[in-house]
Amino acid sequence: MKANPILLEVFKNKLSSVSEEMGVALNRTAFSPNIKERRDFSCAVFNNSGDMIAQAAHIPVHLGSMPLSVKEAIREYDFEPGDMVVLNDPFKGGTHLPDITIVAPVFIEGINKPVFYVANRAHHSDVGGMSSGSMPLATSIFQEGMIIPPLKLVKKGKLDKQLMSFFLNNVRTPYEREGDFLAQIMANMTGLRRMEELIAKYSLETVEFYSESLIDYSEKIMRKTILDIPDGEYFFKDYMDDDGIEAEKIKIAVKIIIKDDNAALDFSDTSQQVPGSINAVYAITLSAALYVFRSLVNENIPTNAGCLKPIKLITKKGSLIDAQFPSAVVGGNVETSQRVVDVILGALSDALKDKIPAASQGTMNNVAIGGFDIRTNKQFTYYETLAGGMGASIESHGESAVHSHMTNTLNTPIEALEYSYPFLVTEYSIRKSSGGIGKFCGGDGLVREIKLLSDAEITVLSERRKFAPYGLFGGENGKKGKNIIIKDSKVFDMPPKFNIKVKSGDILRIETPGGGGYGK
Amino acid sequence: MEIVGVDTGGTFTDFIYKFEKGWGVHKLLSSPANPAESLLKGLNNVISGSNYKIVHGSTVATNAILERKGAYTAFITNKGFEDIIEIGRQNRTQLYNLNYKRNPQLVPKELRFGIDCRIDSQGSVVKEIDDSEIEYLLRVFEKIKPASIAVCFLFSYLNPKHELAVYEGLSSLDVPISLSHKILSEFREYERASTTIINAYVSPKMKRYIKNIIEETKGNELRIMQSNGGSISADVAMRESVRTILSGPAGGVVGAFEIGKTAGYTRLITFDMGGTSTDVALIDNALPLTFESQIADFPVKVPMIDIHTVGAGGGSIAYIDRGDSLKVGPESAGADPGPICYGKGENITVTDANLYLGRIVPEYFLGGNMVINKERIIPFFKSMAKKIGLTEIELAQGILDVANSSMEKAIRVISVEKGFDPREFTLFSFGGAGGMHAAFLAKLLHIPKVFIPKNPGILSAIGMLMADIIKDYSLTVMLDSQNTDYDSITRLFSDLDNQGVDDLKKEGIEDKDIIIEHYIDMRYFGQSYEIMVPFDENYQEAFHNLHEKNYGYCDRSKNTEIVNIRVRARGIPQKPEFDTLECSKKTIDHQAILDVKDVVFDSRFYKTKIINRDLLKCGNVIEGSAIIVEYSSTISIPPDCSAVVDKFGNIIIEIQGEE
Repeated sequence: MKANPILLEVFKNKLSSVSEEMGVALNRTAFSPNIKERRDFSCAVFNNSGDMIAQAAHIPVHLGSMPLSVKEAIREYDFEPGDMVVLNDPFKGGTHLPDITIVAPVFIEGINKPVFYVANRAHHSDVGGMSSGSMPLATSIFQEGMIIPPLKLVKKGKLDKQLMSFFLNNVRTPYEREGDFLAQIMANMTGLRRMEELIAKYSLETVEFYSESLIDYSEKIMRKTILDIPDGEYFFKDYMDDDGIEAEKIKIAVKIIIKDDNAALDFSDTSQQVPGSINAVYAITLSAALYVFRSLVNENIPTNAGCLKPIKLITKKGSLIDAQFPSAVVGGNVETSQRVVDVILGALSDALKDKIPAASQGTMNNVAIGGFDIRTNKQFTYYETLAGGMGASIESHGESAVHSHMTNTLNTPIEALEYSYPFLVTEYSIRKSSGGIGKFCGGDGLVREIKLLSDAEITVLSERRKFAPYGLFGGENGKKGKNIIIKDSKVFDMPPKFNIKVKSGDILRIETPGGGGYGK
Repeated sequence: MEIVGVDTGGTFTDFIYKFEKGWGVHKLLSSPANPAESLLKGLNNVISGSNYKIVHGSTVATNAILERKGAYTAFITNKGFEDIIEIGRQNRTQLYNLNYKRNPQLVPKELRFGIDCRIDSQGSVVKEIDDSEIEYLLRVFEKIKPASIAVCFLFSYLNPKHELAVYEGLSSLDVPISLSHKILSEFREYERASTTIINAYVSPKMKRYIKNIIEETKGNELRIMQSNGGSISADVAMRESVRTILSGPAGGVVGAFEIGKTAGYTRLITFDMGGTSTDVALIDNALPLTFESQIADFPVKVPMIDIHTVGAGGGSIAYIDRGDSLKVGPESAGADPGPICYGKGENITVTDANLYLGRIVPEYFLGGNMVINKERIIPFFKSMAKKIGLTEIELAQGILDVANSSMEKAIRVISVEKGFDPREFTLFSFGGAGGMHAAFLAKLLHIPKVFIPKNPGILSAIGMLMADIIKDYSLTVMLDSQNTDYDSITRLFSDLDNQGVDDLKKEGIEDKDIIIEHYIDMRYFGQSYEIMVPFDENYQEAFHNLHEKNYGYCDRSKNTEIVNIRVRARGIPQKPEFDTLECSKKTIDHQAILDVKDVVFDSRFYKTKIINRDLLKCGNVIEGSAIIVEYSSTISIPPDCSAVVDKFGNIIIEIQGEE
């Protein structure tokens, strides 16, 4: 049977609608601002072996890793109708502990095993561990929060209240967590209902056939995209500043082999995993690779298992980009993922001069501030990531002060920030001349300067403070980022990753990196 | 006194007007270079006396932004925050674009100015403004001569002192100055600044346009349609032009709401299919409002009718992509070259597919004034069908299926995704191409009825005549509702109430025709999004209930916050009453049947009656398959459906079967 080009397009709309409607349900019912306002979640539909068919375009870092979570759940459990499995274990298909995935099987009458799966992943703003917000400068996964192996949270349609109670007793904001868990369950229910409707209307055979056709469709276009890259071996290496504990200048290296319509990415020459929390599990490296190749595709294709088929990843277990238990991994997701993108793009720049831009800021500039608000007599925790410059390309300057590559979350308005926290924002501007100079200049980073109005504890997890975002083909590097604390008019330069107690009146100033320039 | 509704669209300028005997409609080609030209020409054609009133929806403000032809505008804000309009919310709208570029700013860097002053979140002054800074700006502006100025300071809605000082200090320039606390008195600085800048950017152009019309029409009353579904006086529209962006589509939704209400339908999904795109909106007994609109990616936070647009229309181009999938749109053949059957185009469009299946009858398309070349499309269908291994009929049907599937998706976004079940609504179809798709779309969504109004081609102009005069006011108050009693909130409204009544009286509305509505935006403590709730004694309960409806849960034990208060002042104008048809028997008059032709439905030919809508009478039943033609639109009735004509001349299709 050959796929009918009309039904192929119709099913593309139908299946993407399923994942988008799951996303809307999750967004609508979730409680925490992190999910609602910053939209840090993803939803997708999978076939009966756990291959992704359609994903709503949400967060790139979830791309490659969701299927690994679903496969792990399938491997460990025989699903029954009405079951849902929850997990966050980074060493079993997760990425870092705050990202919690819930998987649900689609059953139809007369068949005693699942015919499809739906799943969603959401970033919970606290999962326990050594610091509020669960983004600590840790040295082992046990400090980062509770580890959830695949567990049945819903059994035959009934929520396991004991398990839920156990979770809620291990986090700082149980009320918020409970709301978010229920929202994730609701999102899956939406997905299940929509898949059942689709099967009832078109028959299981047809839905299965067009699901596989959509995977083939994405594979076909991905292969054509890779075929357009000249055959050859391409190399690149770059460094992480440090791990915030003891390791410095940590190498990430890739060799990309393009042969016809296949790509192999060999990361064997990358440094060993480190004591600090910037270790990335395999799922993150896979997501970064998928993000880059998906960005090379001109068409608006479904992001699914087909995109990955022509791409092979070679990693050394126990290296920085294939970290093993029990290493700390929370920063791997937010920081190392960006550098993996940088090295893959750097390698491809030799092959695709007209498509690949210079390096973007290469960090998410994670800032967490916690303390006691003397205005309201309440505890507060604030977490945000800051945008920076994008790299220039063969045809234009890089964009300034925008999130790039593996993240796309929103900022908090200054007027919202000052209502909610004891802060006075003293500057929020584009960091002039921070983009690398070139024929086309890199985009500028930004400056965020906050004066504390209460005593507080600040944690910053950032990169590109020691190794600048690279320029390409004679373009200069972007300016490195800077972390600064100002106390009584005295300026202190801070390291890329730090935790410090500050007094009311002290100022935190973050200058984010510029993008690299392109050409002379 | 005569009354005229005028809607300026991209292609046509539509008129509906009252004269002695009843209502008349008129349509003529727009004159995009000078939109007033068509308006004045058309007025000349339809007006007989010298005393009349005009309600007008214009695209002047919208086009100024889309074409970037607004005023040379300067922006003033706090020092250190000049870039907030460029940083925006720091995200990108295309996830997988390695060379992502924002839309260039309306105010470039060199026209943004910072003043060293600051108000805090309590409204207290942290840093006072220094007059010498304003004097310096005055000298700079005398040199660079901006044509318009926008001012937005942090927390100005709590304390407008500094914005007012700048206004005073620069008044000698004789340049329009838009102050953010006047345009939008709400928190979130980026959205407020963006709205203020758009106002500054479009107002001078709008002012010239309106002044010209007033002069040419010798001072007859002119009202301008707003995007919130109400009209305002020409005077206000010149100062607050941002409120007129997207007023044309808003007119259509108001028209649907009013006409549906008259005919007994108050829950509607509106479906306006045009040449390049399709607009859909959901009416659940009230006009749908949103506070989160954008134009060219710039946020506009004034209230607007909530309309969702998808890039599929009659001119959308069909093609086969690299993965052998049939795509339709978003590229459109537009008006030039247009579909293949118009004689110039080389790409198959949705219109060509309708024609191929016989659902467009060339002799009656636009009253037979447009030459439709059916022969010309055949080789194009042959070659594309061969390329993908389908018959030509399968291809034509497939193009419609794919287009319908993206329009279905758009309707799901405004209904299913917001907790509404489309089966409880009626599909209200207007615009030229909608009638050919509405029945099939209703089948896909299990919508039981399709409503096609009389004169579907000029619905926006009708809506403008029917619209209330609406003034919206808001203020961010940020109150903990546990520590705030009902009476003290009520007192907060009184300033805005007085302003609303005053403003409506200035517009000539009498006290008895004024309705004041109170709303508050609320949220649970710690949330960062708000829900608008009608304000009365039961506002707390109303909030919990609405939260449950919108988001699936609520928690009555949790503290709530009142973020904004809103006043909507409505003046009810005298609304036109429409003529009713003579009632008749079920069978249609013989003369109404123009022809019988072969038309394809479900991949086979049906002998299909071609019916002249103008000769239908109330009570007539049209059994499918049928094609109903009129000057500005064509309606397909599938074989298993039937339609009935109501006393206002509206056609209601009863839907049977599913797609």
